[in-house]
Amino acid sequence: MKVLAFMSVLLFAAMRAGAAVSVSAAVDQARIAFGESVTFTISVNGTTSGANPVMPRVDGLQIAGPSVNTSVSIVNGQMSQSSQFVYRLTPTRTGEFTIPALDVEVAGRRYRTEPIQLTVAPPGTQPSMENTLFARVRLNAPQVYLGQTAPLDVIVYARANLPVRGLSGFNYEAEGLGFKHLGQIKTGSQTLNGEAFNLFLIEGAISPTRLGTFSFGPAVVQVQVATAKRNRHPFGDTFFDDFFGRTELREMPVTLAPVPIEVLPLPLEGRPADFSGAVGQWNVEVSAKPTEVTVGDPITLTVKITGEGNLDTVPPISLGGLDKFKLYNPTTKTTKNDLNTAGERVFEQVLVPKDATVTELPAVRLTYFDPIAKTYKTAKQGPIPLVVKADTAAPTAIVAAGSTRRPKEQLGQDIVYLKGVCGAPPPVALAGTRTFWLLNLLPVVGLGGALVWKHRQDRLRRDVAYARRSRAARRARRNLARAKDYDQLQRVLQEYLGDRLNIPSTGITASVVEEHRLPDTVRMVFEACDAARFAGATADKAALQRQIEQVIDELERATF
Amino acid sequence: MNWNALLSSLLLFSMAAHADEFSAANALYDAGQFAEAAAAYARIEPKTAAVHFNLGNAHFRLGAVGRAILEYERARQLAPRDPDILANLRFAEERLGVAELNRSPKPLARFWESVTGSRTVRHWAMYEVVALWVTMMLVAGAVWVRRWRTGLVILATMAGVGWGMATAALSYRQWADRHAPRAVVLTSRVEGRFAPLPDATVHFSLTEGTKVVIREDRGPWWLIERADGQQGWIRADAAERVSPK
Repeated sequence: MKVLAFMSVLLFAAMRAGAAVSVSAAVDQARIAFGESVTFTISVNGTTSGANPVMPRVDGLQIAGPSVNTSVSIVNGQMSQSSQFVYRLTPTRTGEFTIPALDVEVAGRRYRTEPIQLTVAPPGTQPSMENTLFARVRLNAPQVYLGQTAPLDVIVYARANLPVRGLSGFNYEAEGLGFKHLGQIKTGSQTLNGEAFNLFLIEGAISPTRLGTFSFGPAVVQVQVATAKRNRHPFGDTFFDDFFGRTELREMPVTLAPVPIEVLPLPLEGRPADFSGAVGQWNVEVSAKPTEVTVGDPITLTVKITGEGNLDTVPPISLGGLDKFKLYNPTTKTTKNDLNTAGERVFEQVLVPKDATVTELPAVRLTYFDPIAKTYKTAKQGPIPLVVKADTAAPTAIVAAGSTRRPKEQLGQDIVYLKGVCGAPPPVALAGTRTFWLLNLLPVVGLGGALVWKHRQDRLRRDVAYARRSRAARRARRNLARAKDYDQLQRVLQEYLGDRLNIPSTGITASVVEEHRLPDTVRMVFEACDAARFAGATADKAALQRQIEQVIDELERATF
Repeated sequence: MNWNALLSSLLLFSMAAHADEFSAANALYDAGQFAEAAAAYARIEPKTAAVHFNLGNAHFRLGAVGRAILEYERARQLAPRDPDILANLRFAEERLGVAELNRSPKPLARFWESVTGSRTVRHWAMYEVVALWVTMMLVAGAVWVRRWRTGLVILATMAGVGWGMATAALSYRQWADRHAPRAVVLTSRVEGRFAPLPDATVHFSLTEGTKVVIREDRGPWWLIERADGQQGWIRADAAERVSPK
């Protein structure tokens, strides 16, 4: 079933496509140097069968081919098909050649191509860039009217065999013309004098604001052309050259001569009294909703102005004959294209009929100047009949375009009245005072101190040697002051050394001096204690206490 | 001895002594004697935000709208969020058509000015101190209380950011007060010139009520900058500083 449907579509498309057949012929370049070849193409559009062109003999040209290319495509059910018969022509001498018009028979009907001129220059002659790459200005008329927005396009033509990659710059002079153009470049192809060209279109428009004669240009378009960087690839195709990086882009300037444009005033002759100032070709559409209302109910009148021209010149619509209506501020919505050459402007006006004698909304008129027809015209629509019933109930809310509207109340404005209380005096400055810096310093110093203290507490908990060493001197001095005899004095020294060296204090003797390389004074104190304790030698206890103190001081200063 | 407290007490005493002057000036204003009211407000010292505000109103009624803007600006320095002051300042600027001219065209600069100008210098100093204390205490808490460390670190970071913002605002306000004092143009047409000379080329014109920043003070001439960044020399007697020297 699906296959049948597809076949039907194909058949239908083929029938539609068969209706329009055209035949054309072109060469890729009309001027070549001797030793070069030219491609001659016969294009049959609209069919892929039935065409069998016969290439005539041309004296001085060797003809090879044809190679035939066919293509078929279906877009939205519309089939397009074409055949191309491509010949390679190689001249055997220099001079002017004419490829005669060809008769091509397609489906029993005869089509004729245009004759084509071909110039073969002596070897080494460079083809003129003027005929290879050039630009033209497209303007409908050399005269435009003040307020008119007229399309002005710049078209760059490049021979089909010239590897143009795009445009990279566009500089122009257009003082007084208000010229602006689109950034996006359109591309296409066109045959000029039997020669195929690629074209690049810069769409623009002028909107002059002063009277006088101005000129568009001179202008320069920078064209990017791919040129060979090194030896060309053996395939001799720029695609392969691009692919293998054998080409580089070169910018070629294409210059446009100035085009004079005269800006005319809008003619006084025939100017209607109600001319609105609009310039262009405009249509007016008017609608009202609802058309059956009760007195006091709102009606939304929509006026839509569409067309081509300078939308900025279209003023708000002034409606006359609305004495029996209460009017609210209209809203305007404008939509236009980037060049301001076409668009639409929609006015929405809310009206409320005041009494039941209203029978219609008056006609809406727009009188404008048509710069193409060079005359004033009036677009008019209406009047719109209305049915307004007398108000028998309470007034309804004013609703238009889905929103509740209320006339904006104009409130008076003035300065706020005096202050009745004098208020507190300006406070004393804080920033920069000593108090300020103190308040800044305190938390920083406090936090720093607390962190140091915490670090020490943590170490005292974790590191027993450090804890003993830290409190050794303080503890020793306290016990030294309490010591009553030589035994206690020696124990104080032993405990101090035990804490200081983180070793058990019991059993510490003078030998500790050698083991830990302590000063000799330690040995002397031990020996003095031993002599007093065991040999009954008389010794001064206070002197021994001082000696122990000195030993403690000395060991506290020492690092070991 | 707490000198700040003593000074505040003296000021309060002084204000009480001038409360009657304030009420008398208000009575003159109510009687439509705006010039006398303005003179009476001008005599009151020290001037509170209310005194500047009422003085601005008196000048406004006298038609000296530029001077009214100056007084409203002075009032705004003391009470940046007072809606009455902001409303009258805006109204006076719109009356002279300088409301847009007095605002920077750069959105970021406008935002920064509105943020830093929304508090007095004293407020920013207090915020800075409080934010610093809170930050330090939260850091200490994060060090000591392991259980809440993550939450406290987040809070400390937030407080630290607040401290940084308050410090930036305070520093900017103090820098602007010292190095970029503001002034208000008081005469109807002032010409900004390329050089501090009477016959120098005119660069632009200023109208009454335009707020400018003084970039250089050369006695009778000021190099000023408008909100849109344009700079030029004007006569010093054509404008007056918001914060007197």
